[in-house]
Amino acid sequence: MSVNRKVVTKNAYRISKKRNKTALRIRVPGGHLEAEYLTLIQSVANEYGDGSVHITTRQGFEVPGIDFDKIGEINKKIRPLIESLGLDIEVTDYGYPAAGTRNISACIGAEVCPYGNDNTTRIAKRIEKTVYPNNFHFKIAITGCPNDCIKAHMQDFGIICTTEPQYDVSRCISCEACVTNCTKKVTGALSMNEFNVERDTDKCIGCGECILKCPTGAWTRSETNFYRLVIMGRTGKRNPRIAMPFMKWATEDVIIQVIKNTYDFVDRHIDKTLAKEHIGYIVDRVGYQVFKDEVLESIELNKEIEIAEHIQWNGYYYKQDNQFRKQ
Amino acid sequence: MTNPYLPIPYKILEVRQETDIDYTYKVAYSGQLIGGQFMEISIPGVGEAPISICGFDDKSLEMTIRKVGRLTDQIFSLKKDDTLYMRGPYGNGFDLEKFRGKDVAFIAGGTGLAPVRKTIDYFIRNKDEVKNLEVLIGFKSPSDQLFVDDIKRWSVDNNITVTVDQGDENWTKETGLITKHITKLDLSDVKNKVAVVVGPPIMMKFTTLELIKKGFQEENIWVSFERKMSCGIGKCGHCKIDETYVCLEGPVFNYVKAKTLID
Amino acid sequence: MGYKLSNTGFNEYIQQLKERYRLFAPVLESKKGKFAQTDVIAYGEIEKFDDMILESKSYYSPKEIFFPIRETLFYFMKDTIETPKINEKPVIIFIRPCDLNGIRRLDSIFLKNGEEVDFYYLRRRELVKFIMIECLEGFDTCFCVSMNSNIALDYDAVIRVEENVVSLKVVDDKLEAPVLSNTDKVEFEPEFIKENKVKVTIPNVDLVSKETFNNDIWKEYTSRCIACGRCNTSCITCSCYTMQDVKLSDDKSIGERRRVWAGCHVDGFSDMAGGHNFRDKNGERMRYKTMHKVNDFYKRFDEHMCVGCGRCDDVCPEYISFSKCINKLNEIVEEGKNYD
Repeated sequence: MSVNRKVVTKNAYRISKKRNKTALRIRVPGGHLEAEYLTLIQSVANEYGDGSVHITTRQGFEVPGIDFDKIGEINKKIRPLIESLGLDIEVTDYGYPAAGTRNISACIGAEVCPYGNDNTTRIAKRIEKTVYPNNFHFKIAITGCPNDCIKAHMQDFGIICTTEPQYDVSRCISCEACVTNCTKKVTGALSMNEFNVERDTDKCIGCGECILKCPTGAWTRSETNFYRLVIMGRTGKRNPRIAMPFMKWATEDVIIQVIKNTYDFVDRHIDKTLAKEHIGYIVDRVGYQVFKDEVLESIELNKEIEIAEHIQWNGYYYKQDNQFRKQ
Repeated sequence: MTNPYLPIPYKILEVRQETDIDYTYKVAYSGQLIGGQFMEISIPGVGEAPISICGFDDKSLEMTIRKVGRLTDQIFSLKKDDTLYMRGPYGNGFDLEKFRGKDVAFIAGGTGLAPVRKTIDYFIRNKDEVKNLEVLIGFKSPSDQLFVDDIKRWSVDNNITVTVDQGDENWTKETGLITKHITKLDLSDVKNKVAVVVGPPIMMKFTTLELIKKGFQEENIWVSFERKMSCGIGKCGHCKIDETYVCLEGPVFNYVKAKTLID
Repeated sequence: MGYKLSNTGFNEYIQQLKERYRLFAPVLESKKGKFAQTDVIAYGEIEKFDDMILESKSYYSPKEIFFPIRETLFYFMKDTIETPKINEKPVIIFIRPCDLNGIRRLDSIFLKNGEEVDFYYLRRRELVKFIMIECLEGFDTCFCVSMNSNIALDYDAVIRVEENVVSLKVVDDKLEAPVLSNTDKVEFEPEFIKENKVKVTIPNVDLVSKETFNNDIWKEYTSRCIACGRCNTSCITCSCYTMQDVKLSDDKSIGERRRVWAGCHVDGFSDMAGGHNFRDKNGERMRYKTMHKVNDFYKRFDEHMCVGCGRCDDVCPEYISFSKCINKLNEIVEEGKNYD
């Protein structure tokens, strides 16, 4: 059997362990799907696969046990799934146009979760439209609040939805529920001063807990939603590390533009001699300052935004790990 | 329309130290008062609190204040001739008619002596108005004693028992909880004996139970309550217990009523 | 006098009232709900008829219009004490019968409890007139009928809002307006809701005993209630407050004393200087509030404090239902009766 590995991979099929069998990878931006598509996924699994479906770590579906020669047929069948992504490109009968940029994952967000500061599914879909199709290997996730249930801190781009709490002192009964909660559960950004609450804007992470705790609506949400963008987190076999804050109090438009510009940045700097070079390693190689200057170029920044002067990524290198001793 | 919330400035005539943390303030005041009533005293910008009136004459009143918080800390910096803001008096106080001609025992624990001090003093000075008068006072320790001069004066020719929970080497009076010393009272006609019990909630609870055990009639026992209050005039809600407002119907209650009050 | 107005006509009436009054009604505060992307219905000043929200219950009660959450009692500067002036333009509140009955409860506390009249309450309260909104359907958590507060008669005017037609009856002549003289005159009497989905049985006050207070039912609320105080702040009849003194100038010679809403569920409500707390457990606070609302208040004022607006049910983050609690209370009181 002759299979062009690059072509099928780009088409969202995987080379699997089992000879002559492939697996289809279905994108579900934001991890949220109209239930009707489950029937379609079920029929692909039953008719072409081994009757099973794997739910991926990035919230997509993977249908294993597919014969390579059925790819054409399946691609026709899954056209409604690709159409459901609402991309700006023309959808064809030839399946997914790219697979490098991974499914945009998201926690359930403000549609359901009381802690959610924004509709994460909506943002995931908007980013999907912005970055897909693309072959660069990017991992992006959106989390509804700084609890970060989706693990945005393990992504190349982790978007954390926040709100800037607004305090109406005339409604405050000095019950201190917000202060106690922020001290115990968050960063201790709130304190009482002469029966009024003071918010330390350096410590406040915009989680919105104070708004949830307030019994009189003295705390409310800001008109605009803001986002904390953490970048270049990763797993992998060399240097796993947590993403670090790049921006806080950024608007959605700024975030989208930064992600877009990063694709151009990668295009300019990627080491084309390698099979693939991961974005985090490119930033390591060219330096944060170059990255920052290039991705911020021509972006109109909102006035509330704060951007990291320097970033020191921690994490560890497997090869330097010497803390183990045979027992 | 009168505004009952406006505090009025009064001149401090004298400040007397009782203990490390209790001071008695004598303030220029003329007006009708009843022992056991309270004033809302304040320093604008610092706070306001209900404080028992522990003594008065035609031209002044006295209040003993314990340093327990923001307001009282600040009051401690006031000296003679400074201004103290007050409004009141509030509450029912001890109606002397309830005790006239009776065999009466005043039982006070700690700062609970303040609200009954004036009433005790009145009957000490007018002993012919009561059949018998006894006083039982308890403090935590010798250094917590209040109104030492008064007690010394009262003790001449009267059955005054003073006990401390914990004595020291110089302590010559009684020791042990107040409940232990109830037997020192003349209980020969206990069915008709009247008792006034004032002190911390726990002390009042166990003392009244002990009195009943010893044969006191519930209707012959009087207590005075202390609760959080912001207004003193039945609006703020803090001192409400059941349908009762301590600031309006109290702070002095007959035990028959008091025992039904569940906070 | 009764009138029938088109929506435009009624809006014109509102415009004419606005010349003499500030008008308050339930309005939508966009994106001001506690959860993201949610609105809140609260009492606010209206500009036009369209601003009024009639299809939902307001999250907060109208009490804050004349019993502000924070109210300065006086400013002091060195030795002078000055009571702040207030906006003296009269106020009209569009209000449902339950809330109107609730305001009589507030009046009882502030104007009739004890000998003193509350100066600050009265001076705002005297500015207020009420236009009652006929309420025939109620909402899921309402139990006004059980509390006898479905019917209110002490309104200054009343409206029935139907599609494209507003019926109006003006009781207080001051609420007449020029637009009404060219309007169809009709006989209009408001009707009142006769049945709610939720029904409660108030325990017989004569059967409530010390055992009722000490009953185990309150313990459940110690584990469920988180003492957030929302039931207090949303309640039309909760009237408790605490004093706050603050200094406003650096040299501390200028400052103010204000009163601020307090709630019996909130930490600190019963704390004394020195630290003693009379109701440490949240179940005790639930008992205290419940008994006040459906027992204690009645003994002073011959009507129950609770008017069954159901807001405490609507706002409780722990899904504690006050109506359910009242019914449980009634059960234990009834059981107690059988034992006797």
